Amino acid sequence: MTNALEFVILGLSHRTAPLDVREQLAVSPDELAERLRLLRELPGIAETALLSTCNRVEIYAAVSDRAAAFTALQGHLNTQVAPIAGDRDVHHLIEPHLYRRHGRAAIHHLFRVAASLDSMVVGEPQILGQVKDAFKNGADAGTTGPTLDSCFARAFRVARRIRRETGIGTQPVSVSSVAVDLVRRVFAGFAGRKVLVIGAGEMSALAARSMASEGASIVVTNRTRARAEALAQEHGFGVADFGELEKALAATDVVITSTGARQPILDRARLQRVQRARRFAPIVIVDIAVPRDVEPAASEIEGVFLWDIDDLQKETASHLEGRMREAEQAENVVEEEVVRFLGTVRGQAVGPTIKALRERFSELGRSHAERARSRAGITDPKVAVEFDRMADALINELLHAPQVALKKAAAVDDADVLAGAVQRLFDLPIAAEAQVESDDDADDADDDEVKKNP
Amino acid sequence: MNPAALALAQIGAYGLASGLYLGLFLGGGQRLAGWACFLFLLGFAAHLGDIGIGCFDARHPLSSTSEALSFVGWLLAGGFLLASLRNRLATTGAFAAPTVLVFVLLARVLPDSGARAGGSGLATIHILLSTAGEALFALAAVLALIYIVQERRLKRKDFTGLRDGAAPLETLDRLSRLCVLIGFPIFTLAITTGAVLVARLGLLRSGKDIRAEYLFAVVSWFAYGALIIARRSAGWQGRRAAWLTVSGFAAALLVLVGYFLRRLS
Repeated sequence: MTNALEFVILGLSHRTAPLDVREQLAVSPDELAERLRLLRELPGIAETALLSTCNRVEIYAAVSDRAAAFTALQGHLNTQVAPIAGDRDVHHLIEPHLYRRHGRAAIHHLFRVAASLDSMVVGEPQILGQVKDAFKNGADAGTTGPTLDSCFARAFRVARRIRRETGIGTQPVSVSSVAVDLVRRVFAGFAGRKVLVIGAGEMSALAARSMASEGASIVVTNRTRARAEALAQEHGFGVADFGELEKALAATDVVITSTGARQPILDRARLQRVQRARRFAPIVIVDIAVPRDVEPAASEIEGVFLWDIDDLQKETASHLEGRMREAEQAENVVEEEVVRFLGTVRGQAVGPTIKALRERFSELGRSHAERARSRAGITDPKVAVEFDRMADALINELLHAPQVALKKAAAVDDADVLAGAVQRLFDLPIAAEAQVESDDDADDADDDEVKKNP
Repeated sequence: MNPAALALAQIGAYGLASGLYLGLFLGGGQRLAGWACFLFLLGFAAHLGDIGIGCFDARHPLSSTSEALSFVGWLLAGGFLLASLRNRLATTGAFAAPTVLVFVLLARVLPDSGARAGGSGLATIHILLSTAGEALFALAAVLALIYIVQERRLKRKDFTGLRDGAAPLETLDRLSRLCVLIGFPIFTLAITTGAVLVARLGLLRSGKDIRAEYLFAVVSWFAYGALIIARRSAGWQGRRAAWLTVSGFAAALLVLVGYFLRRLS
């Protein structure tokens, strides 16, 4: 199928390029429409979309001539980098970091990216939204078409399936989000919850901010009040007097503490007093200070749930391990979906050939039946119908084996060769249709995988 | 449909769901949750079918103790499914599903007691109220038991089985309190109607027919009453409330056990 379009990807990511190279190629939302227009005008590019995140810049395209398209796309990237490259050789600046994918490998890559298997933090949820935005921007700019439509639609489906069938994104993997997750084991939500941050550490602020975004009210306290006020002002939190710590604790559901104190600021006796005042209502204390701010024995007090930095890190490591296990399963899903998708595409490729073959034979059969009827002088409509039926039955018998062979070829990789042969043998008129090429040499695309991060 | 096949289907489905929920509770993958829920739903549907057919066959929930017990199990299953719609309760199934299974099995194993004493309208109301009250207390106790186990795990920093599908302690406490709050007035009415029945039948007049379950019923009523007061006035929640809920149900359970032992003898 010489007129068919092929799906290709040219790009670089955190796996192949350092940040200083990635930031030179990053595309801001303001210039996206113009960049898409420029890409679409390149020779051989029929459809295109562009993904630019902090971890990757990738151009997706449906092309009629792969080699020419890759050259044009790289030329485009060189042009973008040139103004900021200074004296450096633009080509050699980005070439070592680029990867090129086409056919099966391109589909496989897109599915992995959308499913967050190629992300820096495997399983992070933002990438699917970013890929969706990239496709939507292309659609809005009028640079996408049937090939990209089908590839992206399937990529979104695969990503959703992986989210649904594996636990790849279910567990948080940063210390602050694990802290938030553990608090959720005790409390049903953060709405109306009171959180006390002791100390002015950035990590506590990060966890507190996440709780605040879900409706918790945050109060900061610190030995140096000015630092508490600075942190509170930066994040929109309240401030409590460090001298009235017990009073603040009595009104609190969650405590995040990270002071630089050498001795525990919350010992067992103090927390016992606080809990008595609270009628032993549950209180979660996340102690991320080293040395610890809370005496470990305080965890024995009724209603106190105390976790320190070691607990959080152990949980984080366990979540990461879990994600990697789930990622293996997700890779299998991607493989399965790539095969299924290519099967569908190949099936679509033989469809027009089968249709044209049937029409050609049907036309021949009916005209010969018509001629036979007139030679024999048959005018009875009942007999005429029988003649047509006989012709149809004969054609069905004749075409059964070729049709089955074409469909079987669609399930493997011979569809184009066999469909092309049938078209030539029977001189079938087939309209050129956009589709994803899946030629045998597509697997070689892995060889184009470029050079790792120097 | 054949009632025996339905009974087999519900026992099989609840049994398998119990196993899967238990696997999930012990740290099995999240995929178990989906299958467990599906099987539990299947058991619930078969259970409903069984009760429905029974109603046409004069085996309605108020016709005998076995049928009432089966109905309690079904109410428990329904309550669990209803609560699961709004809360993460997948691991809670490790307790809820086996409890339902026990009720269903007891209903099958125990001899059919036939129509209740007196067979009057009051007796019917008494059975209905007792059944509903016991079901709610059973659900409250299951939730309280899960609270105790989960709280212990969190205190020990053992997060196995708590990562996916585990309800937060606060949710367990809230649902358990809700069950007791609804169950208590129902159980109060059950005790009142029971007392009227006993008086009407003159069982206490001779002093020979004073049964242990009367005492347990009163103990159970006091335990739940105390729990409600403790929650309201002393602000009891969490572990203390959970233990009292479980103790109250233990007393309520003894009412049932006493009743069945007497039936079996």
